[in-house]
Amino acid sequence: MALRELPLRSASALCRDTRPAIYALRPSTRRNASTTTTTTTAALSEVEDTSSFSIAPPSADQAQAFDPIARSRLRRRGTRELPASRYQYRPPKYYRGPLHPHQPPPAANPASREFQPGPFSLPRLEQTYQSTIAADVLALTYQHFPPNFRAAKVENRLREWQGASPYFKNRPLRPPRGRGEVLRLLTPPRTFRNVPKLTKVTVHSMVPEAQENSANLHVAGMVVQAISNVRAKTHKARHNVVNWGLREGRYVSVTTSMEREDAYHFLAKLIDVVLPRIKEWKGVPGSSGDGSGNMSFGLTPDQVALFPEIEVNYDAYPPRMIPGCHITVHTDATNNKDARLLLQAIGLPFYGKLND
Amino acid sequence: MNVGQQTTRRLASRAGRSICRSCKDTLSRNYASAAAAVQPEDQSSQHIPPVAQASPQASYSVNAGVVVSRPPQITRDLHPLESAFFLYQRRLNERTALPFTRYFYYKARTPADLEWKRKMRQRLTPARDIGRYKGYGDEAWNDELLVGAEESEMQHQVERLIADAEQTGLEDSAEAALNEAKGGAGKKVEHELIERPMSRITEADEKNDVKSLSRLLQRTLYLLVKNKEGQWVFPHDNLGKETLHAAAGRIINDAGGVNMNTWVVGNVPIGHYQHDYLQSIKTASGLNELGLKTFFMKARIMAGQANLNDNKFGLTDFKWLAKEEIQKEVRKKYWLQVKNMLAER
Repeated sequence: MALRELPLRSASALCRDTRPAIYALRPSTRRNASTTTTTTTAALSEVEDTSSFSIAPPSADQAQAFDPIARSRLRRRGTRELPASRYQYRPPKYYRGPLHPHQPPPAANPASREFQPGPFSLPRLEQTYQSTIAADVLALTYQHFPPNFRAAKVENRLREWQGASPYFKNRPLRPPRGRGEVLRLLTPPRTFRNVPKLTKVTVHSMVPEAQENSANLHVAGMVVQAISNVRAKTHKARHNVVNWGLREGRYVSVTTSMEREDAYHFLAKLIDVVLPRIKEWKGVPGSSGDGSGNMSFGLTPDQVALFPEIEVNYDAYPPRMIPGCHITVHTDATNNKDARLLLQAIGLPFYGKLND
Repeated sequence: MNVGQQTTRRLASRAGRSICRSCKDTLSRNYASAAAAVQPEDQSSQHIPPVAQASPQASYSVNAGVVVSRPPQITRDLHPLESAFFLYQRRLNERTALPFTRYFYYKARTPADLEWKRKMRQRLTPARDIGRYKGYGDEAWNDELLVGAEESEMQHQVERLIADAEQTGLEDSAEAALNEAKGGAGKKVEHELIERPMSRITEADEKNDVKSLSRLLQRTLYLLVKNKEGQWVFPHDNLGKETLHAAAGRIINDAGGVNMNTWVVGNVPIGHYQHDYLQSIKTASGLNELGLKTFFMKARIMAGQANLNDNKFGLTDFKWLAKEEIQKEVRKKYWLQVKNMLAER
């Protein structure tokens, strides 16, 4: 709708200065936020002569004396106003398609079964990112191009099949050279809109001992859940791997993935509390990184036990069952360099040969 | 299309020729017509190299400036709506979350368990900082704060957390009073004192000490100096045969002394200031100098303090100011050109 109006508006904006002055007196029905509203409020006041804003708020005594629980009890004294069993709404358990008369409410509605409350706070790390880190990363990675510069477009990143064979027709393009190579992500020019940011943190804990004794899996789930504040998911081994003692179909690992507030709280806790207490921790290996903005590193069982959530009731976990874990930090950077820069700015040091 | 875009478009169309062509094209691009009209492919994909200046005699002298800033040290104060929203969500969480697994954290019939039960009886919920509220039962709907309630304020929540850590839940009960009366001090459980968080308002804030770096901890502070002409500016100097990055480091040392631990962020400037002379000046090399341009590099101060004794630019005074305070000190023309490189917070 707004798009359709556009040419008209731009045209009227262009010839506004050439219009005769009499039009200025004509009342305009279109209103912008920037224009004055004196005439329109006068017109509206005739339509609606009272407004809830003009009514004074209740007096201080009334506000002090207001007790919602007492009022509710008074109202429900004796017989209930409404038969509770008939008017209590419960959303349907399953989504039965868009044409079904009984539709579940959206997930943002507290009445929905999928509703998850939150956010509960504005994490300190997120504020630091907004106020300091993002601007610094932008200044560090900005590449200036002169005005009117257009980067040469890369037409086909994949090679065609060359030759006269009739089987080359309509065949998918050839993959990149090299064994196991895939197309790397393209890195667009850096602007203030695409500064790398944290998207997700995944904690993964592999416990092959769980195949013999499921208690290991339960403990691993409790540990991962306690440190990440997110429900843990369990995973089965997909293949038999004799060397690792894996048997297909047995539960062997737990993961959680945190986003937004949980991810920021987890990383802040890790960087400010846990990692400084590890003795002779060298940092995240510089070889880490998958080339598309994700960085992983591992923690040993002793190091996991340093999390404050584990430490507070360390005795509740069975001895020698606390597992180690792998932590993957997902960012929306498109290469290792940018992702590493972001994590270094957040406070994770890297050591050794860097994987660029 | 939103109001902002309409406004810029209107301004652009009114501005006429003063706006550059590429900007005007970008602004007046109409999505519907852009989709209909097929652009010639080679034009957009072509690399257009920078064009040489039309009149090589006209030039600007180049200065390097440095914007030394101290980033925010603490979190910002929440807007009352934000804190009310967070409390509302926490209370919703009390209603929807599974019950607290007490025996995983407290062994049955231990003193810690008894204390937990006492405290639960008082506040009705496992969460320690959301006030007295019960998430389960017939009256769980009563999760709204009444007029004048302070449960959503951060200071109140911090106090509640500290009180919970320090108190045993027996403080104002009849049992404790009885114990007191008997004079039985033997069984009294004392928790250790918790260290209070430091005040968010420092001494420098109260004195409004603009030279201090511990003022306005929630904001970014920028170093502003008073030059020979008595104007407040960011430290700057002529650019010699050096990079902008090196020049920024040199200017910091020459202006603020060596007692500042600073980091010059990156190799690119974050903004520039252009000053046009009333009369163009003929330089020694035969160029016609129209004015001067100052390119500002970004720097962060990690430790130390500025010291203008024996500075090389004849600076007389310095201040650490937040963005809106800078506006009051500098000239209007200067402000209009530097304001967009300063952080809001």
